[in-house]
Amino acid sequence: MAEEPFDADEISEPSPVKAGSIVLRERFIVNGDKPLPNLDSPNAKAYLAEDRHDLSRNLFALVCTPGIPLRTSTIKKLQVTPGPGNLELVESESVFWPIIGQRTMVIIYERPMGGRVIDRIKAGQVRITEYDIPRKVIQPIVDGLRHIRSLNTAHRALRPDNLFFLDEDMQEIVLGDCVTAPEGFDQPLMYEPLERALANPAGRGKGSTIDDMYALGASLVVLTLGNNPIERMKGEDLLFRRTNLGSYAAVCGNARIPLSLLEPLRGLLSDSPNERWGLDEISNWLNGLKQTPQQKKPARKGDTPLRFGGRDHTNVRTLAHAFNRQIPEAVKALKDETFHAWLKRSANEGDLSDTLKGYVDTANFHKENHQGSDEYLIARCCAAMDPYGPIRYKGVSVYLDGFGPMLAMEIIRNGNVQVLTEIINREIYQFWVSDRALLLDSIEISQQFAQMKAWLSSNEVGQGLERCLYELNPGLTCQSPHIIEEGIVFIDDLLPALDRAANHADSHAKPVDRHVAAFIAARFNEDTQPHLRALAAAKESTSVIGMLSLLAFLQWKLKTAPVFGLASWVGGLLGPAINAYHSRTTRRELEKEIPKLVRRGSLPDMFDLIDNAEKRREDQDGYADAVEEYAICAEEILSIEGSGNELQEKAEKTGQKTAATISIITTMIAVTIMFFSEIL
Amino acid sequence: MNMRMIIWSVLIFALLLIVALPTVMLIAFGMLPAIVAVIIDRTEERSAAFCVGGLNFCGLFTYLMDLWFGDHDLGQAMHILTDVFALAVMYGGACMGWMLYLSLPPVISSFIQVMSERRLQQLRATQRKILDEWGDEVIHDADLGGNGAAPPQAQAGQKMPAAA
Repeated sequence: MAEEPFDADEISEPSPVKAGSIVLRERFIVNGDKPLPNLDSPNAKAYLAEDRHDLSRNLFALVCTPGIPLRTSTIKKLQVTPGPGNLELVESESVFWPIIGQRTMVIIYERPMGGRVIDRIKAGQVRITEYDIPRKVIQPIVDGLRHIRSLNTAHRALRPDNLFFLDEDMQEIVLGDCVTAPEGFDQPLMYEPLERALANPAGRGKGSTIDDMYALGASLVVLTLGNNPIERMKGEDLLFRRTNLGSYAAVCGNARIPLSLLEPLRGLLSDSPNERWGLDEISNWLNGLKQTPQQKKPARKGDTPLRFGGRDHTNVRTLAHAFNRQIPEAVKALKDETFHAWLKRSANEGDLSDTLKGYVDTANFHKENHQGSDEYLIARCCAAMDPYGPIRYKGVSVYLDGFGPMLAMEIIRNGNVQVLTEIINREIYQFWVSDRALLLDSIEISQQFAQMKAWLSSNEVGQGLERCLYELNPGLTCQSPHIIEEGIVFIDDLLPALDRAANHADSHAKPVDRHVAAFIAARFNEDTQPHLRALAAAKESTSVIGMLSLLAFLQWKLKTAPVFGLASWVGGLLGPAINAYHSRTTRRELEKEIPKLVRRGSLPDMFDLIDNAEKRREDQDGYADAVEEYAICAEEILSIEGSGNELQEKAEKTGQKTAATISIITTMIAVTIMFFSEIL
Repeated sequence: MNMRMIIWSVLIFALLLIVALPTVMLIAFGMLPAIVAVIIDRTEERSAAFCVGGLNFCGLFTYLMDLWFGDHDLGQAMHILTDVFALAVMYGGACMGWMLYLSLPPVISSFIQVMSERRLQQLRATQRKILDEWGDEVIHDADLGGNGAAPPQAQAGQKMPAAA
């Protein structure tokens, strides 16, 4: 995109809809030629937007990156229920975005006129003192988080560069966008709680307000100091430091934190989710109520370090993280008495040592199956060594509530999906569920993953990996090659998208492929199982009828406008379904009728024509009668033809009998005549 | 034929010899072709015997009535039996019977053959019509085996329907 950055303040009159611009809901104009890079999100570009009904409104649009799963349920909630402390989400729609040449989700927000808070601070345009922090920064953010919590969700994108001044006077701070990427996906490691920071970005999980509170603490450090004290520390180093020192010590380091903020920062940056300050604690602090001071609690450390993977480890949490990266070495270490001696004597984890030894013995017992594999053993050991950490398997670290986005990102990026499916199929998630029963509804998680395992085990359309993908990612666009560029998130948009795709799709390919079927199964709140079962049938005619019935059901239930292109596409594939009728006359009639229905764009009518129950029954009955009649004819033919000499003999005998009969009758007549002529 | 029947037959024949020797003699000599036919016709139906015997008796009956309504004595019987014309009439009747027996079966057989061919054509036309409307799968589903399952040959101008 080569647009020049545009100064939003230059707007004085509403511009007409130009090339490169689009209109949402026939009301909001998004100007593609007026980008607002200062309002960009990591996964969405910002453009100037206008409300045709109210030209005085200051709006901007975020054009989402196609393929990134969106938080659709949060979009709906924020749109329906705007609240304090958040940018008002005005409208959203999946539309064709000419600049990238494909459809994508566009979200209209209220434009924060004061810009990014951190930019203004760094530019020296505003100064926030330690005395301003509680009322000017914390209070509006807490209000925003409280509102988001009331919507049963979490922000999970709270960081200094996602805080904005709503007004030009830079007095009111609001939380920025949180819906254009999965929860925590865009967060730098510093702003994620330690346990979630240890997971891959896409797998950090939905989380809760308690995770937002940590992000608030980390953001406060940056906003208070005006810069990030650990800006240069990245990745593994930062995680290692946070694990060893504790997040508070790692983030604040030697920075000069105002005394008045020490208490809330210690509370907010606590690495224990149970001890971390929540909204009530911070509100109490804002209201001047004294909180129980939290002591600086570094992680449990061993007396002497254990060298593994090029680092000296003093606690098992960092070791678990390292074990997952270097599995063969980790297995060697597990079987080495030196490691267990270190666990018992230095790390004071005697029970853990016994547990790990037990796991090694179990693995040895199951040498023949996956439970004896090194990867399985290490995953199990990591879960025991870091019970609050993410599930770790074959180098992947993922929270189960972040499994969906992780799966989506791996599929979209053609990554290692195999590992994720193994986590489900080999029930590796069970370690996690059982160890964290206090934190999560383990029964619900177990049920969800058991259901996913069932889907994965099925290779039928509408099941499999694709079903898991769409069930776990309500905001993911349909990945079918037919409509991937359409950016379809909602089921209502599917048929119109397939209708448009009919213009360029291979007419021999079915419109309902594995992705479309799974998308429908996951997003359509009706019982589609009978249709999917028919669609998955090995018999081509049944499969085609299943496809038609599914699409017709969709059009009927969603009251979709006529789909002429799709009807034509489907009509061209109905050969096997038509041929399922035995009667050639019926076939010819159907072939004659289909073009008429195509011109009506009605899939339900087409389905009624093709799969009319009465017509089917008549055809079946007629066919059965025809088979019977054919068999009777064949038998009679066989009896006539198969007789051979027998027929000849039969004819001769009949002739002989006839001759005898004629002879006798002639004699009787002649005798009678002669007798009576003699006596009379 | 059991012994009882044989005894009765001998008794009746003996009685007839005593009561109507001329009639018995005339029948015995006049019906010789019929007797031969009975002997040589080994079929169950005995069609040849009936056929020859019937017309043989027809030729004989005129002379039997001359005997019965004229002088019923051996002289008259011998007179008839020695009359060439009378013998020609009796044996000519038998000859007619043989001719009827030999000529009628081929005629009847040909007639039946024609009727069968006609019926076969009708049946094949019905099968053809069924296959045109319902397809060749009917043959499979009829599960007949043997020659009856073979599809009938398409007639000129007719096209075999494609198998579904």
